Amino acid sequence: MATASATEAAPNRLRSSMLGARLREAGWGYGFALVPFAVFGIFFVYPFGYAIYISFFHWGILGKQAGAAGTYNYSKVLHDHIFHIALRNIAEYTIAVVPLEMALGLGLALLINQKIRGRNFFRSGFYFPSIASSVAITVIALYFLSPTGPFNTFFGFSTDGFGDANTVGWSIVGLNAWTTSGTVMIFYLAGLQAIPEDVYEAAALDGARAWRTFWKITFPLLRPTHFFCLVVFGIGALKLFDQSYIVSGGTGGPNYATTTPILYIYRQAFGSYDFGVAAAAGVIFLGVILVLTVGQWFTLGRQEAG
Amino acid sequence: MLQTVAAAESPIPGRGRSAIARKVLLYVLVTVVALVFFIPFVYTISTSFKTIPDSVNVTLIPHPWTTAAWHDIWKNYDFKLYFRNSFFLCAVIVACNIFLGGLGGYAFARLRFPGRDLLFLLVLATIMVPDQLRLIPIYVMLVNWHLVANFSGYIFMNLVTATNLFFMRQYFLTIPKDFEEAAKLDGAGHFKTFWRVMLPLALPAIGALTILQFQGTWNDFFWPLILFQGRTNLYTVQLGLANLRFEYTTLWPQIAAGSIIAIVPILVIFLALQRFFVSGAVSAGVKG
Repeated sequence: MATASATEAAPNRLRSSMLGARLREAGWGYGFALVPFAVFGIFFVYPFGYAIYISFFHWGILGKQAGAAGTYNYSKVLHDHIFHIALRNIAEYTIAVVPLEMALGLGLALLINQKIRGRNFFRSGFYFPSIASSVAITVIALYFLSPTGPFNTFFGFSTDGFGDANTVGWSIVGLNAWTTSGTVMIFYLAGLQAIPEDVYEAAALDGARAWRTFWKITFPLLRPTHFFCLVVFGIGALKLFDQSYIVSGGTGGPNYATTTPILYIYRQAFGSYDFGVAAAAGVIFLGVILVLTVGQWFTLGRQEAG
Repeated sequence: MLQTVAAAESPIPGRGRSAIARKVLLYVLVTVVALVFFIPFVYTISTSFKTIPDSVNVTLIPHPWTTAAWHDIWKNYDFKLYFRNSFFLCAVIVACNIFLGGLGGYAFARLRFPGRDLLFLLVLATIMVPDQLRLIPIYVMLVNWHLVANFSGYIFMNLVTATNLFFMRQYFLTIPKDFEEAAKLDGAGHFKTFWRVMLPLALPAIGALTILQFQGTWNDFFWPLILFQGRTNLYTVQLGLANLRFEYTTLWPQIAAGSIIAIVPILVIFLALQRFFVSGAVSAGVKG
């Protein structure tokens, strides 16, 4: 009967149908990932190369101009004193804002970590400014600190924190330390909760006071969080744009005091319509960020290990 | 934690009063900090109901009380249109990210195909490409392709992000395989298994993705500025607010009302679903 041939053919058919299922599965896999891959290819991978390409041409509002520019755009950026100011501004800003937002965030986390009523309410309240629109927050700060705004009227001052070239940097530092501290707080809360309870019990048995316990135990044990925040918020700070754009109306003024590297790139592209120079500045700034990131990982990472 | 220290101290004579003092100090401190955080928002709400001359007064209660600024901003300064634009972009981009992020995430979590792990690393690598480098090439590309006179360019570049794909993949990995095997036995194909079985099971992940992507798109200022500046019919709330401030520097009641419009949708979502925000922030941080 047919049974004999059927049992003989079965392993073969099974194998071929399994191979077919495998192929079909792979086909569906590629199919599912196709659109995401197209998006990543067109809007992430390709622009990466295209930016470098543009940076080697004279590229204006009408597109690429004839003839290669060589390293002209790069030397133009590197010799532009406004770019130097932008780099100095962002260095000063980062050095000022990161420790401040970490200190504030840690302070908030320590407060929230106590047994107090309404803990969740306070936690949400402190966190909210960091997820609210940066434009709205900046505009509110501009209003609140304007020469005729509530702050000055209340204290009888007439300072123009966001209008004066000497103070505008500090005003943005204060503003962003305030908004970002909520996010930092979330990370420190996670860090605090990861510290085992018995460490504190041991300290209490030794009669250590709260202040001493903090500096000798809590602070050192939070080291992974310190490290993490330093890297993440340090790199975040280098990308300052929204606040300086809103404060200066997109000019980077007064007297270039709010010009950050990204605002510089923006102004080269949409102020001077020099896309070649803007792309070169983007490549240079990416290089700076990469060097700093790698440097940070090496120095801090080594401390972390030792 | 620290309170354990206090609790352990209290049996010692003379420490009881200091524990109470500590508690009082704590509440004073947390209240003061909360006031510093909330006062600017309270003033903004108050100012939005003031008249222009009254807006420079430090008084908290508007005198006279008026909703003129709200009418003005909604009708005359086109915030109605900006609000609609922002919502439209958020809805489309969130929907696309759920579908495509889910599809791609499912493929990387469950389907076997050659080169999968290498391709996945490539996806993760795109998270590292910073916006300041993409700014010029993407603008040039979208102009060349005639995609900046409407929303299509902005939507295309935000169809799906690597972060969302990664997020969905991680969630799919936690779902037991039994569900898919049951679906296969019922004769469901790969797409049907994804669409009918896996995507509904990933609802918590979809919830978190929706909130985080909505927030990202709603608050986005950088790309709308690059792509829509000068085309007022395309303005989002953020772009409209920034331009309102540039053009009418001291129109404080209107600017305050605009700021509230820019903040409130996120506030509503945050209050309703805040646990997603916190877990999202932590996991997003761990990834980065």
